[in-house]
Formats: sequence, structure tokens, C-alpha cells
Amino acid sequence: MTEFVIEIEKLSVYYGRHRGILDVDLRIEKGEIFGFLGPNGAGKTTTQRVLMDVIRPTAGKARMFGKDCQKEGVAARDRVGYLPGELSLYDNMKASQFFKMYFSLQKSNTNHRYWQTLAERLDLDTSRKIRELSRGNRQKVGVVAGFMNKPDLLILDEPTSGLDPLVQQTVMELVLEANQTGTTVFFSSHILSEIQAVCDRVGIIREGQMVATERVEDMTRQQFKRLRINFATMPPADAFTQEGVKEITRDEQGVLLEIRENLDQVIKTAASFGITDIETIPVTLEEIFLAYYGKGKGGNNA
Amino acid sequence: MLRLLLQELRFRRNAIIGWAIGLTFLPAIYVGSYPLFEAELAGMEAILDLEIYQAMGMNFGTFEDWLASTVINIVPILVAIYAVIDGTGTLAGEEEAGKLELIVALPIPRWQIVTVKAIALGLALFLILLLVAITTTIVFLAIESQVETALMWTDIMWGLLYTWPIVMAVGMISLFLGAFAPRRRTAALISAVIVIVSYFGSNLSSQVSTLESIQPLFLFHYLDATASLFETGPQTSDVLILLSVALVAFVLALIFFQRRDITVGAWPWRRARRVPT
Repeated sequence: MTEFVIEIEKLSVYYGRHRGILDVDLRIEKGEIFGFLGPNGAGKTTTQRVLMDVIRPTAGKARMFGKDCQKEGVAARDRVGYLPGELSLYDNMKASQFFKMYFSLQKSNTNHRYWQTLAERLDLDTSRKIRELSRGNRQKVGVVAGFMNKPDLLILDEPTSGLDPLVQQTVMELVLEANQTGTTVFFSSHILSEIQAVCDRVGIIREGQMVATERVEDMTRQQFKRLRINFATMPPADAFTQEGVKEITRDEQGVLLEIRENLDQVIKTAASFGITDIETIPVTLEEIFLAYYGKGKGGNNA
Repeated sequence: MLRLLLQELRFRRNAIIGWAIGLTFLPAIYVGSYPLFEAELAGMEAILDLEIYQAMGMNFGTFEDWLASTVINIVPILVAIYAVIDGTGTLAGEEEAGKLELIVALPIPRWQIVTVKAIALGLALFLILLLVAITTTIVFLAIESQVETALMWTDIMWGLLYTWPIVMAVGMISLFLGAFAPRRRTAALISAVIVIVSYFGSNLSSQVSTLESIQPLFLFHYLDATASLFETGPQTSDVLILLSVALVAFVLALIFFQRRDITVGAWPWRRARRVPT
């Protein structure tokens, strides 16, 4: 029987009359890495904040480890490491003091020195006061705080925000390592390539509503296909004009087609002009994401 | 909970020391300079008839009057400023700065967070008053031989520590407003208005017979800042009323913080109770 670490049912959050999220349904299995995609204002942070009981839902249910996030929030959060998207820390503390304090305030699956190991991996100087740290280094403090207790569930809101590419890579390695030891990961990101690289499943939220939840490979495979076909005789410009087929580019050797339906008809038409080569061009998650959003829709950062 | 409390006190360490040092100068100067001005003060009745001094409850007839008017009357007002800053800063301020999200997301019940912050605020206020009381007492001991008074050093200590209930009430009202109002600025403004209106309202209403009936509405009505404080001590009923106000404000802070959407910054009635149709 599948064990769900996160269960969200018909979850809605309204800020007065302004929509935060509406009727969000989501289940994340134990051991999964789930990527949450959407532009600013789509509802990613709101959903994660409801799970952490930072804000309360207007309607619907949210559970972690089978416990209601509001009524049994303390027990639910006991096994969670959290990195908020808008991270703000106690500036007057040294990073090491902050970690000791943070460690002392929660249940831990590890020893009190694990934060040092994480800090070393992220090349973070913990002897400096937080106010003296750059934005990237503050983000590292947040990452260490999220991971330091080896939680059973990690909820990360844009964990690599503000980090340089090398450190981003290290954070992704930490995510994968944590997952290999059984930690479920629910993280949102704007960097689609990192979600594609590490996530088992991905959910896309648009204007507060879930528009897709699929395995990453299914999503990139099913939405549309792109074929590069070279011909012995170039077909006329309107040869592939039909429902669900779009000609992207054309040169002397062949055409690049984006095919949503009528694949069979496309192959038959292409064959009539003598196919010399055919290649499937992989579709990236970014392209899928943009396909869901369209230009300028659903947020201001798409 | 103890760890969180220690942490909260650690956050306030510099503020407690800074405010105590800053506040010490005022009573130390007033008490220390009394022997120099004793003779001149006897001829100041005309000045004290001015409405502004009446409104502030000033009387300089004896050392006890001088001490009550300049120290017991003024120190709680200044400590109340700290109470407003700390009371509104500890919930609303930290929420606005984004720091509260990390704490609320920990496996700690919200009531514990509010309780710990309230205890830390109360202890900070007490420690500030204690440090001010100690230095004032030291100055008093230094000039004691030059002053005609029956006061003991313990009277001065207690006189200042008796002001803790009123600053605690202000602190808890500020804490509650921090959990209730959408922004810290709004909470601090309302708290400051309550303190100022309460201070001047209490003294003015005691001067104007038609306003006597509303005197009990003002917090400072329950602070005895006259020489009688040193003779009889504070009225038990006054202390109980101030502590009750503090307790009610604390309970309201618990209730409203329990329901608050952290990071949203909205009045409680703006919170959507159902999905709009």
C-alpha cells in the first residue's frame, strides 16, 4: 500500500477576496522527490506555508505523515526540515550560534555536529555574524538549517535561490543524498533544469490551481514530440499543415516539426517525399512549463 | 520551552543593558542633585501651579515628593517606551522582518512561542527597573547624609520595582496589539497613544472634577507616583488591576496569535472564512 507523506485535498487559501490557491489536490509518496513549478504568485509558497502551519487554509485539508497540519501541526512538523523562500535570519547571531539554537529547538535524527559537516560542504564560514554574510551565504545558512536534523521530509522553497552554480550543484547533491537515505523532498524552484535532473514527479501550479501532476519523463514525453526529418525531395511548405502539427523550422535538408496529434499522418506524408533521416528532439521541462503558461500568462516570472 | 526562553533573553541582553544604562542617568541626576537644589525647590510652589506640572502630577515639597515626582513618575513612562518597542517588536516586528516564519515552522506550539516571549518581555522590564533601582539606590546612599529624609535605601528599591506592574501592562498590551494589528507600526502607534493618553489623562482627570468619573479608565491612575507610596506602599487593588490588565492582554495575544496567518499582515476580520463565490 502506498504511503503518502503529504496529502492535500481541495486546499484553498484566500487573502480577503484575493486568491492564494484554489482547490489544490496533491499527494506525495514516501521517498519521492517532488518538484513544484510555477511563477511568482502562482501559489507555491502559499501551499508550502499551509503545510508548515504558517498560514491557515480557508478550505480543504493538508496532512503530513497522516497528521492534520493545523490540528496536529506540532507532531506533523516534528519530522520536517523547512527552508522558506523569503529567508530572514537573526542578524546579530553568528551562523554557528544560530545552528546550535535551531538544533536545540527541534527533534533530531542526527548528532549536533552534523551542521558543521553541511557547512563545510557548502563552504560556509559559521564564525561570522549573519549580518556580515552575503545573500548567497545567508541562503547557505538556510539550507544547512533545513537539512541539519536529517528530517524525514524536506520542504524547500527555492533552495538554490541566490547561490552560485557550483553551490547549486552541491545543494542538489544534498537533496539526492537525503533522498537516498529515505527522506521525501517537496521543493519548488524556478530552475527547471534542476527539477528535471532530480525530481521523480513534478506539479505545475497556475493562478493558484494545479494544472498538471505527472512523472517528469511522462510529462516531457506525452505533451508533444519534436521530429527532425530530412528528405530526399523537400516537401512543399504546406505539406504538414494539419491539426496538431506545427512546422518550426525548414532548411535545404528537411524540417523540424512539433507534433501534438496525427503522428501517423505526419509519418505517412513524410514517407511520400523520401525520408533520409529522422530524429526525435528531446523536449525539456522548461518547454513544457512554457507550453502550460503561454507567454505572459499566469504570473510575472514565467 | 526553557531553551526558547533563554534565547529570547539572549536577544534582549544588549537592549536590557543599554536601556538600563540610559535610564540610570535620569534618576541618578535627579537624586544626586537634590542637595544642591533643596533650598531653591522650597520656593517653586508658584511654578508647580502651572497646568503642565499639575498634569504631570509634580510636587517638590520634600525629598520624598521630589523622588516621587521626578523618579517614580517619570521612570515608568520611559520604561513603557521600551515595553512598546519590545512588545510590538517581538511578534509583529519579527513577523515583518520575516524571522518569525522559521520559528513558527518549528515543532513548537504557538501558545508556547507567545508565552515565552511574554515571560522574556516581563523579565526584561523587571531587569531594567532593577538595574535602575540599584544605581538610584547607590546614588541615594551617597547623598543620604545631606538629605533630611526618613527613607531607607530599600524604600527607593521597592518604589521603583513597584512600577513593574504598569510597565508590564503596557508591554502585554503592545504584545497583544502586535498579534492583532496588521503591521508593527500600527501596533506601536496605538500602544504609544494608550500610554500618552493614559499618563496625561490620569493626571488631568485628577485635577478636573468633571473628569473624575473617567479616571479609572487610565492605566496610570493605578500608579501611585506620590510621596505616600513610600509610607504605605502601593495599593494592593491597584497592583491587582494592573496585573489583571496585563493578564487579559496576554490572553488576547495568545488567542489572536493562535489564529494569525504569519507573513500575511492583515487585520483579523480581513481573514477569509470561506472561499468567495
